[in-house]
Amino acid sequence: MVNPVLLIVIPLGLTFTIPLFGFISKKITKYIPILGMIFNLAAAITLIPRVLQAPIIISLGGFPAPFGINLMVDPLAVFLAVLIALVGLMISIYAVDYIKKGATQSYHMLYLLLLVGATGIVLTGDIFNLFVFFEILCISSYALVAYNQDKPGIEAGIKYLIQGTVGSGLILMGIALLYGYFGTLNMAHIAKHIHSITPLSAFLPLALLITGFGVEAAIIPLNAWLPDAHSSAPSSISAILSSIAIKMGVYSIMRIIFTLFGASSLLHFLLFIGLITLLVGELAAFRQNNIKRMLAYSSTGQIGLIIFAFGLASALGIKGALFQITSHALAKALLFLTVGYMIYRSGSMEIDSLAGMGKKLPVISLAFVIGVFSLIGFPPFVGFASKFLIVEATLVQHDLLLTILLGFVLLATVIECAYFLKVIQIIYFKESNKDPDQTRKNTSLAVLIPICILMVLVVGIGIYPEVLSKILNSAAGMLLDRGEYIRSVLP
Amino acid sequence: MIYYIGAIGLIIIGLYIVLTKRNLIKVIIGLDIFETGIFILLVCTGYIKGGTAPIFSKDKLNPSLMVDPIPQALVLTAIVIGVATLALALSLVIRLYRHYGTLDVRKIKELKW
Repeated sequence: MVNPVLLIVIPLGLTFTIPLFGFISKKITKYIPILGMIFNLAAAITLIPRVLQAPIIISLGGFPAPFGINLMVDPLAVFLAVLIALVGLMISIYAVDYIKKGATQSYHMLYLLLLVGATGIVLTGDIFNLFVFFEILCISSYALVAYNQDKPGIEAGIKYLIQGTVGSGLILMGIALLYGYFGTLNMAHIAKHIHSITPLSAFLPLALLITGFGVEAAIIPLNAWLPDAHSSAPSSISAILSSIAIKMGVYSIMRIIFTLFGASSLLHFLLFIGLITLLVGELAAFRQNNIKRMLAYSSTGQIGLIIFAFGLASALGIKGALFQITSHALAKALLFLTVGYMIYRSGSMEIDSLAGMGKKLPVISLAFVIGVFSLIGFPPFVGFASKFLIVEATLVQHDLLLTILLGFVLLATVIECAYFLKVIQIIYFKESNKDPDQTRKNTSLAVLIPICILMVLVVGIGIYPEVLSKILNSAAGMLLDRGEYIRSVLP
Repeated sequence: MIYYIGAIGLIIIGLYIVLTKRNLIKVIIGLDIFETGIFILLVCTGYIKGGTAPIFSKDKLNPSLMVDPIPQALVLTAIVIGVATLALALSLVIRLYRHYGTLDVRKIKELKW
């Protein structure tokens, strides 16, 4: 068995050897993130069968659970680690050819560091450790958003930084209060004793933590940074932010609500905030002229859908939410990568400038269409399976309120359909008014490989959704059963 | 108790500066005051009046007179993170000034919705 610590340590070590490799040859450095992610993907996949039997607890430094820092490797953690490594691998292959200008060495370091932060967040079982990994993720993404060093990039970077830092401050304040109450930082230990304080005093740290992580998760009143940051960053970074970074905020919120606090009274709040995020995100996406900004608002909407599904708090609902995380991560990464290449060819982010791409770049356009169809939820793509699961989970509860809310969710899907089909119409059926192909360049292999693999995954998992069924069931069960979590860390 | 009031006061002052000031440097100063307030809040949770460091150098040192060292370790980590954020923020502001020639947030609006 691979020790799960290596999932964090190996990429972290590789990150800081990148400058050393840079002395040998500048060209090697861009392959280091690929190396790290291949290791993570293989190691995380080999962990799956072990974790399905029982969660793995690793005590770092040899101190037993409530005293030392421990890693809590349960099915949910391993599943998300596999997803992070997979999407991270695809985007690092894409970046080999895409990132040419600027400080490429720093780009690859920061990119790998971002993935280390994300992997750490899902694996750790200590709340302060969670905060530290969260800051690693956030600080590297602030810097990467401003990577182009142009006017919009820097402006989006500073906006993201100010909002993100206030959010992190709130998280730290919540952790300080929790430590003041319980004198421990171990998540299982806090969860064990959380009912020994009054609900009112538990509410303050809960609210602080949710608000703080909500900034990164881009829940609706806290999402002002997201459209700017996602549209001004290089496309590979938009892809990783959209498919991994904001999911980490959602994951942390869910861990805190379900495992740490067991706050079942908050679930209706989650349903409503998810629905509002979904509707506002999709409506805002509808009126955008900038394609990346449209995709960014669509990410906000999808996060709303994920939070809505978590708010159902049934095993089926959480399974649907995790499935939706997967399908959105794959489809949105695919969309941002294809759109990034189209923008690189057309030189503009306006939707109208994509006219005629269907003839110029047939494979890329096909991948874009597959991504869009999956995001909207057409069968047989992966988005259909996940959205169907969420609809099913809502309807089996036989609750009038939920059924009405579901109506709004489906309305949001219709809006999503409207603006995405408009883009497809422009790509395929509108003649380009520019001169056709001033410079005919072949699409590089490093761009095509990740796009094709993501395309195959979107279709493949859509046709056989059962491949994920076992681990998702197990992960959903683990998230709902806090007693099991506490027992496995503190026997 | 007075320490908690002081810490919360610093947090509120910091947030007020972040929300109301127009100059980006002042906003960043506000962020730093906000963070400092949180650090003091965190240290307060482990403080005992008249307490000392938990080192068993003297005999007859009562455990109830030792301050909790964990919040101090946490604050050290958090200060390092804060320094990294501050350095990144200031370097971004320098870049921003080169592009726009101003630090007034009202005039920096390339990305309006």
